Amino acid sequence: MAAKMSVAARKQMPSALTFDLLAKCSQTLLTVQVTKARASTLHLPHGSVPLPIFMPVATQASLKGLTPEQLAQIGCKLCLNNTYHLGLKPGQAVLEQVGGAHRLQGWDKNILTDSGGFQMVSLLKLANVTEEGVRFLSPHDGTPMLLTPEHSISLQNSIGSDIIMQLDDVIVTTSPDRERMKQAMERSIRWLDRCIDAHKYPERQNLFCIIQGGLDLDLRRKCSVEMAARDTPGIAIGGLSGGEAKDEFCKVSVIPTSMVDTCTGLLPENKPRYIMGVGYPEDIVVSVALGADMFDCVWPTRTARFGNAITPSGTVNLRHATYADDFSPIVDGCTCICCRPIQQGGLGITRAYIYHLAAKETVGAHLLTMHNVHYLLSLMDSIRAAILEDRYPAFVRDFFNRLYGSASKIPIWVVNALNGVGIDLLAE
Amino acid sequence: MRNTMFNVLHPAPAVFAPRVGMFVLPGRKPVHTPHYLSLTSRGAVPHLTQDVMRDYTSIDSLYIALEDFIEKAPDDVPPLYKMQAEAHESTLRKFTCLPEDILLVMGPRRVPPVFTPMPNTGTAISILTSVGFRKLEAEDYIEAVRKVRPDIVVGLADLVVGLQSGIKRREKMVDRTHAYTRDATKQLYGDVGEPESESSAVYFAPVLPLENTQQMLYLDDLGDELREHISGLAVYEASSLAIVPDKIGCLPRLTLSGPKTPHEILREISLGADLITIPFVGMASDGGIALDFIFAPPLEDGSSASKPLGIDMWSPIYAADLSPLVQGCECYTCTKHHRAYIQHLLSAKEMLAWTLLQIHNHHTIDCFFAAVRDSIEAGTFTEGFLAFEQTYQPSLPQQTGQGPRRRGYHAQASGPGEPKLNSSSYDQLDDAAEKYAEAQSFVPTPDVSAEELQISGFAVKDT
Repeated sequence: MAAKMSVAARKQMPSALTFDLLAKCSQTLLTVQVTKARASTLHLPHGSVPLPIFMPVATQASLKGLTPEQLAQIGCKLCLNNTYHLGLKPGQAVLEQVGGAHRLQGWDKNILTDSGGFQMVSLLKLANVTEEGVRFLSPHDGTPMLLTPEHSISLQNSIGSDIIMQLDDVIVTTSPDRERMKQAMERSIRWLDRCIDAHKYPERQNLFCIIQGGLDLDLRRKCSVEMAARDTPGIAIGGLSGGEAKDEFCKVSVIPTSMVDTCTGLLPENKPRYIMGVGYPEDIVVSVALGADMFDCVWPTRTARFGNAITPSGTVNLRHATYADDFSPIVDGCTCICCRPIQQGGLGITRAYIYHLAAKETVGAHLLTMHNVHYLLSLMDSIRAAILEDRYPAFVRDFFNRLYGSASKIPIWVVNALNGVGIDLLAE
Repeated sequence: MRNTMFNVLHPAPAVFAPRVGMFVLPGRKPVHTPHYLSLTSRGAVPHLTQDVMRDYTSIDSLYIALEDFIEKAPDDVPPLYKMQAEAHESTLRKFTCLPEDILLVMGPRRVPPVFTPMPNTGTAISILTSVGFRKLEAEDYIEAVRKVRPDIVVGLADLVVGLQSGIKRREKMVDRTHAYTRDATKQLYGDVGEPESESSAVYFAPVLPLENTQQMLYLDDLGDELREHISGLAVYEASSLAIVPDKIGCLPRLTLSGPKTPHEILREISLGADLITIPFVGMASDGGIALDFIFAPPLEDGSSASKPLGIDMWSPIYAADLSPLVQGCECYTCTKHHRAYIQHLLSAKEMLAWTLLQIHNHHTIDCFFAAVRDSIEAGTFTEGFLAFEQTYQPSLPQQTGQGPRRRGYHAQASGPGEPKLNSSSYDQLDDAAEKYAEAQSFVPTPDVSAEELQISGFAVKDT
C-alpha cells in the first residue's frame, strides 16, 4: 500500500486560487537579516482576502451566536468550519441536499475546512491511526469505524469549502518517539497523494497539504520538500497546536519558531502558508515575521464566552468584580461596534454591562465575541499595513512593548525568534 | 411629571371593549396600542444584541425588572446606581446600552415573577436576584426610580405569587398597595418645591388581581386624589381590566398577567388592554419553536381549531428543508435563512438558533398586533377573534428539544424537591475539570449508529 508515486505519475493539480504577493520586508542598512513577513492578496472562489489573515472558527456553521451579517460587518472574509462536526451534524447527505456549507449558513464569503483528523485523534478515545486511515470506535455503539483520506475529501467536497485540507497523521508534536514521528510524516505524504486523487472539484476547491514532522527539523525539511513537489494551491504547517501542549512549548521554547522558520525557508514563495491552530496575538505577530500568511484559532471566541476581552495589553477577565462599576468601553479607542460610542454608530457597550451579563445572558458572550474577533482582524489589518509600508519591525517592537509593558518583560522565546529575523526587541 | 399623552383613538375611552390608541412620550417613538412590551433579562432582550435588535427587529418598548440589577443591595450599592448620567439621561438606559428612542418600562420584578419562599412584609416585597432571595423595601424602590429614571415605572404592589391568598391576606394586599401608591406618588411628584426634583418617570399604578369590591377604596382613590399623579394602570390578570373605574378609564392599561397563548392576548385586548407583556415569545424561541399565526386568519369552512400556533424546529423532518420558517414571512430569519439551518443550529446547540428564532417570533407578534389594531379600527375585531379561535389550536406546540441553560432567576419554582434546572454536565468543580468539560462540550458525538454513519458516508465500519 501507498508506494511512493513518481512526480510524473501524479495527478495534475489545478488551482482555484491566485496569489498576489504585494510586499516583503526590505533590508535596511542596520540589519543583516530581514523579516520574512509578506503582504499579499489571495483570490478565492468567494472573493479576495488580504493576507496575512486571521480566520475565526465557526465550528458548526455558526460563529458562536453571530449572524453571518455581523461576522461580515466585523470584517471577516474567510472563516473556518470543522469537517468532523459538520460530518456528524448535519451529515453528508444533508450537506449534499442543501448544496454545501455556504448555503447552509447563509455565508457568501469564503470557508476553509480542516480534514477532521485532528478532532478524531484528539477528542475521541481509542482512535488509532493505521495506513488505511483513522480507526476509532463509534461513540454511539462502539462499532469499530474507519475514516480514510478519501472519506475526508469526499466530505469536504460535499461541504464545498473554498479551501480544504488533506487528512494527515496527527500525533502530539512533543512526542519523543522519533520513529513514530517519522512514520507520521511519511504517512501524511502518502495520504496527500490519496487526497489529491480523491479530490473531485480541484477547479473550485483548493486542497492544501499539511507539513508534519514534529519538532524535528530534518523531518520537517524532508516533508516540506516532498509536499512542495506535489504543487498544491496552498501549504499548511501542522502539529503546532496540540491544544494544551501549545502552551507548553509555544510559550517557553524556541523550537517551534525555528521549525516555522525552517519550513517557510523551503516553501515556494508564490503560495499561501497557513499555520494551523495558531493562535494568540503574540504567536501571530512572530509567525508573520517568520513568513506565515494564514492563522486560525478558537481562542478569541472561546475566551469571549468565559468573559475575557482581548486588549492591546493582554486579556482582561470582565467577570472580575473590579469591572462591576467600570463604565469605560471594553477597550478605549477600539473601533469595534461594541466599543464605539453610540454617537459614532456603535453600541457604547461598557465593561460594567459585560460584567452584568457575562455567563448569565448569551448577549454578553455575543458582544465579547464580536469585540474579540474584531480585535484579531484589525490586528491583521495593522500588520498588513505595516508590511506594505515597510515598517514591520517597528510595528513588532511597538506591539510587544504595549503587550508586556516594557521590553524586559517580553518572553525570551519571542526575543530569540525575532532576533533570528533581524528584529532586536531589547535594543534601545 | 413628564408630559405624556395617551389618546384613545377608537372607540370612546370608558367603554370596556378593544380600543386603539397612541402613547406618546417626549423623546421616544410613539407607541400605537394595543402593543406589546418586549421582555428583557438583565436588561437585554435574550439572545438579541443591540445591533441585531436595531437592524432586524421593530422592538420599540421594553420591560425591565429592577430585581435583575440589585444583587446585593442594600449592603452593596449596585453598579447601576453608581452610573453617572446627565440630568436628562436615564441611567437605566445608559447602563443597559439601549438606544434613546426605545421606551423603557421598569417594574420591581420579572414577568412572570419567580415564587419566593419568604412572604412580603408590610414595607417590602420579596424578590429574587441572581444571588438569591432578598427584600426590596418600598422606600428603596422609590429611590431607585429617582436614580435610574425609566420612562414608565410600574408601582409596587403587594402580590402573592404562586399561591392562593386568603381573605385576610387580600385585605393586607389592598392596604399595602394603596399605601405604596400614595407614598410613591407623593414622594415622586407631590410636595415638590422646585420642579427639577420631580421624577421624570411616569407612574403606572397597580390594580390588584382581586374583585372590584375588595379594592374599591383604593380604586376610588386612584380616580380621585391620586389621579393627577398616575399616568397608567398595571393589571395582573385579564379580569381586572373589567373593573377599572370610569374616571380612570382613559389611562393606558399595561397587563403583566403572562398570557400563555395568542388567544389570551386577544382576550385581554377585547377587554381594553393597551400594552401587553408576553413571556411566551421568548419561551418559544428558547424551546426551538417558530411561531406561526396571523390575525385574522381567513375563515375556511369546517375549520376545527386544528392549525398549530408554531412549528417545532427540532424536528428532523426539516433537516434538509430549504424553505423559510413561515412562507411569505418578511423577517430577517425567513428571508436570509431556511429551516434546515435552524434545525441544524438547534441540534448542534448553537446559540444562533435562539437569536434567529427570537427575530422571527418577535416579527410574528409585530404583525399580529398591527393586524389587531387595523381590525379594531375597521370594526372587525370580534369576527377576527372568532376566526382565530376556530382556526388555531388552543395551545402552543410542545417543546421537544433542549433550550439554553436555565438560570435560577428564569425558574418557576415548583416547591421543595423540584428537579434540577439543568442536567449536570460534570461533577468536579476544579478549574481543570471545568476547562475539560468546556472543551468536551464542543465535541458532538454521533447520535446515530455506526450503520447510519456508514450510510451517510462519514466513515465505514472497520471489519
